[in-house]
Amino acid sequence: MPKHYRPAGKKKEGNAARYITRSQAVKYLQVSLSVFRRLCIFKGVFPRDPKKKVKGNHHTYYHMKDILFLKHEPLLDKFREMRAYEKKVKKAVSKKNKDLAERLLTRKPTYTLDMLIRERYPKFIDALRDLDDCLTMVHLFAALPAIERENIQAERIHNCRGLSLEWQAYISRTHKLRKAFISVKGIYYQAEVEGQKVTWLTPHALQQVMPQDVDYKIMLTFLEFYETLLGFVNLRLYHSIKLKYPPILDPRLKALAADLYALTRYADAKDRAIGANDEESELRLAQLQDQLPANEPGALMHLVENVADDNEDDEETIACKTLFQNKTFFLGREVPRESLLFVITAFGGVVSWEGDGAPFDESNQDINYQIVDRPTQSHRFISRDYVQPQWVFDCINARIILPTEEYMVGKVLPPHLSPFVDNEAEGYVPEYGETIKRLQAAARKEILPMPGGEHDDLENSQNLLAEGINDRTKAKAAAEKKQEMALHEKQYHQELKEELEGMQYTPDPNIDDDVKSNVEENTDDVSPEQLVKDDENMAMLSMSRKQRGLYEAIKISQQRKRANVETLERRKKNIQKNKKTSD
Amino acid sequence: MKKNGKKNVLKPVEKEVVVVSESDDEVVASDSEHESVESPVVSDDDYEIFSEGNDDRNSDSELDSGSGSEDEVHGNYLDGEHPSNEAGLSDGVDNFDQGDQSASEDSREVVDESDSSEDEVGPRNTIGDVPLKWYEDEEHIGYDVAGKKIKKKERLDKLDSFLARTDDANSWRKIMDDIEDEEVELTKEETKLIRRMLKGKAPHADFDPHAPYVDWFAWDGAKHPLSNAPEPKRRFIPSKWESKKVVKYIRAIRKGLIKFDKPKEEPRFYNLWGDETEESRHGLSYIPAPKAKLPGHDESYNPSLEYIPTQEEISAYQLMFEEDRPKFIPKRFTSLRSVPAYEKSVRETFDRCLDLYLCPRARKKRINIDPESLKPKLPSRKDLKPYPTTCYLEYKGHKGPVVSICTDPVGQHIASGSHDGTVRIWEVETGRCIKVWELGEPVQHVAWNPLPEFPILAVSMGQDVLVLNTGLEKEENKMIADLLRVETTPAPDDSESAGSSVSWSQYDKYEGIRIKHFKTVSSVEWHRKGDYFSTVMPAGESKAILIHLLSKKLTQRLPFKLHGLPVCSTFHPTRSIFFVSTKKNVRVYDLVKKKFIKKLDAGVREISSVSIHPGGDNVIVGSKDGKLCWFDMDLSSKPYKILKSHPKDITNVAFHRNYPLFASSSDDCTAYVFHGMVYSDLNQNPLIVPLEILHGHTSVNGRGVLDCKFHPRQPWLFTAGADAVIKLFCH
Repeated sequence: MPKHYRPAGKKKEGNAARYITRSQAVKYLQVSLSVFRRLCIFKGVFPRDPKKKVKGNHHTYYHMKDILFLKHEPLLDKFREMRAYEKKVKKAVSKKNKDLAERLLTRKPTYTLDMLIRERYPKFIDALRDLDDCLTMVHLFAALPAIERENIQAERIHNCRGLSLEWQAYISRTHKLRKAFISVKGIYYQAEVEGQKVTWLTPHALQQVMPQDVDYKIMLTFLEFYETLLGFVNLRLYHSIKLKYPPILDPRLKALAADLYALTRYADAKDRAIGANDEESELRLAQLQDQLPANEPGALMHLVENVADDNEDDEETIACKTLFQNKTFFLGREVPRESLLFVITAFGGVVSWEGDGAPFDESNQDINYQIVDRPTQSHRFISRDYVQPQWVFDCINARIILPTEEYMVGKVLPPHLSPFVDNEAEGYVPEYGETIKRLQAAARKEILPMPGGEHDDLENSQNLLAEGINDRTKAKAAAEKKQEMALHEKQYHQELKEELEGMQYTPDPNIDDDVKSNVEENTDDVSPEQLVKDDENMAMLSMSRKQRGLYEAIKISQQRKRANVETLERRKKNIQKNKKTSD
Repeated sequence: MKKNGKKNVLKPVEKEVVVVSESDDEVVASDSEHESVESPVVSDDDYEIFSEGNDDRNSDSELDSGSGSEDEVHGNYLDGEHPSNEAGLSDGVDNFDQGDQSASEDSREVVDESDSSEDEVGPRNTIGDVPLKWYEDEEHIGYDVAGKKIKKKERLDKLDSFLARTDDANSWRKIMDDIEDEEVELTKEETKLIRRMLKGKAPHADFDPHAPYVDWFAWDGAKHPLSNAPEPKRRFIPSKWESKKVVKYIRAIRKGLIKFDKPKEEPRFYNLWGDETEESRHGLSYIPAPKAKLPGHDESYNPSLEYIPTQEEISAYQLMFEEDRPKFIPKRFTSLRSVPAYEKSVRETFDRCLDLYLCPRARKKRINIDPESLKPKLPSRKDLKPYPTTCYLEYKGHKGPVVSICTDPVGQHIASGSHDGTVRIWEVETGRCIKVWELGEPVQHVAWNPLPEFPILAVSMGQDVLVLNTGLEKEENKMIADLLRVETTPAPDDSESAGSSVSWSQYDKYEGIRIKHFKTVSSVEWHRKGDYFSTVMPAGESKAILIHLLSKKLTQRLPFKLHGLPVCSTFHPTRSIFFVSTKKNVRVYDLVKKKFIKKLDAGVREISSVSIHPGGDNVIVGSKDGKLCWFDMDLSSKPYKILKSHPKDITNVAFHRNYPLFASSSDDCTAYVFHGMVYSDLNQNPLIVPLEILHGHTSVNGRGVLDCKFHPRQPWLFTAGADAVIKLFCH
């Protein structure tokens, strides 16, 4: 009897009935593989892993319900219709019926993906949750060249660029950007939109490498869906800040490739107009209030509340908004303009750049920071700092204005650290991470200078003296106290200064000795390692097999992590040793 | 191009000149952006001269007037006579005004006499249209009308011609006529002609290409038609094909195939999520794809130095398997401008696309827990004391691996059998060897009679089983001697079942009985009453397990069929139940009812030893794959718990008689001690807690601890090792 024998007249049951392989599915839907692929991509249908793979391990399995879901898709009919239509055109062409062919070509059936998006993302928040890949892809294509051979059309590239800039303009306008990181792969950004963290990667604005062995058809199918999705998302977001979509841009700025700036200007202009409207509406409200009978204030209150709600931002947004507030930046010719324009405006700064269409030029006296990326800067204005672009990114990741000394032109930069890493969980904090942490702490303490310091008393003692209280002992005590406080403060500041300079904390050598002596005491006739191992073994004995497997897996992963950290520490030690010997 | 050409020419001349001309060039270059009109080519030298409109005003006015007369003036400046002279420039502008007027007057005259002038005056040279190359080497250039040779004129060399040109303001309009061999100076009208021709216009200014058409042939009023042919019929009937075509169009319009009004442009995007109804997703539960991994410190363009692998490490990556090799090798760039485009960005996005639509998705719970929390909560080991922890005594004396040990029922002595062919009896508390029997054959198993009043030892070696009198009990010596006496007439009538295979005889060398078997005996076990004992011959097939009755010197076969090779056998500690373990399972028989009761299925590879809990309801089984199975006989025939303790074979397992302890010994040179509490409440499962791992033995020939036995009263454990040592572990 075969392994999966099913008597005649009995239906398939279980996994055999619930899952079908891909080729079965293609046959079932009576489509070609490429159409099936497109359908799957558009509908978001993915293979699933059955517990028992009836047809074998080397097949891709789809759930039968998913396939039925595809079967009832109107798009499937649309694809069939389009295929038939193409045949019609082909026939007309081959029969040399030119005008029929032309007429047919003008009325090709098309399809839209709107309802699919609604179906896949019933709520707006669902769409935001799934936006990472979409944004990465759209940003990538915005940087690609149009290739006729691969059917990558210039029109789509332009569309992608437009969509990505619209998204960036929204993010920077609403100050929703949280993190940015320059990696070798490109620049990562993370924004928080409606409570969802959206991360995307933009490639470096350079000529991209187009590999030959990539099936661009698949990517373009994905892109088609993503373009539609991002368009709808952008519209929704623009409407939420009361802007028209698609935005109408200044053609002059657009021609100068300053689209992002044009977009921000557009948003600002609209905002101003809205502001004026608000004032107007308030005026009208006031007038209305006079007319209204006194017993109906509820409705009005409600209206006002609505207005107030709009301007409410969460704490983090405010922190982001104010980071670069009242700071003016000027971008050099050689720095990536679009990225910095996006980032700095998102954190409340004012930016200009070298080139046409810039809001102000280099000689403007208000500029605080000029961002340059060249070995030396010949002509300098004294009133501003000349920093490298990494400073901006490090500042926004640390959420403080970092000291610019280390980022000056021509200096060797401190390492650029990823804001996406939880250093504690990783178990290794790079040296510069510690420095930044201390700087952050220092920045926070600036508002309340000494923890637990009684500053009021200190100043009061002086006042007391001035008032001429004749109790000399009291005055003396106050003076002493003041001295002591000053000493404390001095020490504290010294420590802070050391921290700022990036001094390493040197642990007390006594502690190490203690630990060693403890270890020595512990040694028995059986070696301590053996004891530890025995304990481990014994613990393992009493676990169930499943738990033991889990335990071992966790242990292995921990070990791997530890090994990574150890490698890093070893390398660091080597580097320091080399430095010492070279000194 | 122009600049280069000039430079090439001027280089051999003088440096000053070069400087001047270069500065001129700059002027030319800056002006040429606005408007430049090419002047006629002067072919005298290698290079061309261009006249430049100096500023916008000039070029505009030139366009207005349609004459280029001012150009000459500027051309002069630019060719270097007045390198920078503003007065000259203003002069030039003035000149231009005058020149313009004069030019327009001239042009009128030229038009009038245009045809006559050229045709009448023939060329001086009569050679006709032949290549001038033919006269290259001749002194003459051709012949005049009279047939006289026309001599070649001397040519100026380049330097001279250049100087002449710089001197002459009109040099730019001079052209060398190669056929006539003379310099022709173009008139203003001629330059204008050339300029117009270059622009693609008609050469003369007053030629109007768009003059109104005059139809010279007028039909009206003529008497005769042009053709006398009769009017064809088709002129009077409507065209069939036309009407067919019209019908076709009408149909197409009616069907809506042809539309005249353009389709309305609908906005592509609209508020899709306008009505946020509680609408759930169709189909199966959606499993969102895992998000792409966020970058770590190492992916930075400027990571900390410690993240960059050294050269050795990078070369070590090459030795790894391709799957294990790190996908990304961190690199450090000193500044942002030096970061190149990432060569794999398209590929990685593509891979992500493939993952999104091709990877099977399944929900997996990722538990982020402390691994220590997985360990079950066990009572602390301190509360479970006493149990053997440390080695207290060593019994040395054997020369070979000690295979088997056994304590006497009181716990004063232990007996040990070794592969060196001796059986020794030791005093437990002192470690003194009391007695040695040299048996001459490797001992397999020793077992002490469980009755304290009969200090008898059963020893299996080879095919023999010896029942020896230890002689430790002085008073009852007689009784034991009676017991251990066999009538010399070996009864053939014993042969009811197993008699023929086993022969009882007196052992000559020491005081005792010798029972000779037909196959190698692997183990001997006493019944609790001390009269019966069973022997196991793994190769004995149907007679593999025999039960001997010592008092009557009788032997009988086990009346059951065995499935598989027997390994060992044990009596139930309280009831008449007999356990036989084969390699795969343990079978339980009732000896009184002669019935098979139960099969305990261990599910291990090969059982090596069995021990019964003194309560009788729990059995532990040690296996050769290092597993220890605890069976609760009332619960199931499957193990209640399997402890995978040893990496190597378990050689023996043992229960303590009083304390809730059990132990297992293994070839990995360790013995484990467990707490195994069995509750009288049937609802409560036995509690098993691992207590201690006992080390100390050394491995010999891959064998470690060969036997372990508990002391009958104290929580002490004896272990016998392949290193010929017996150890006593005390609490």
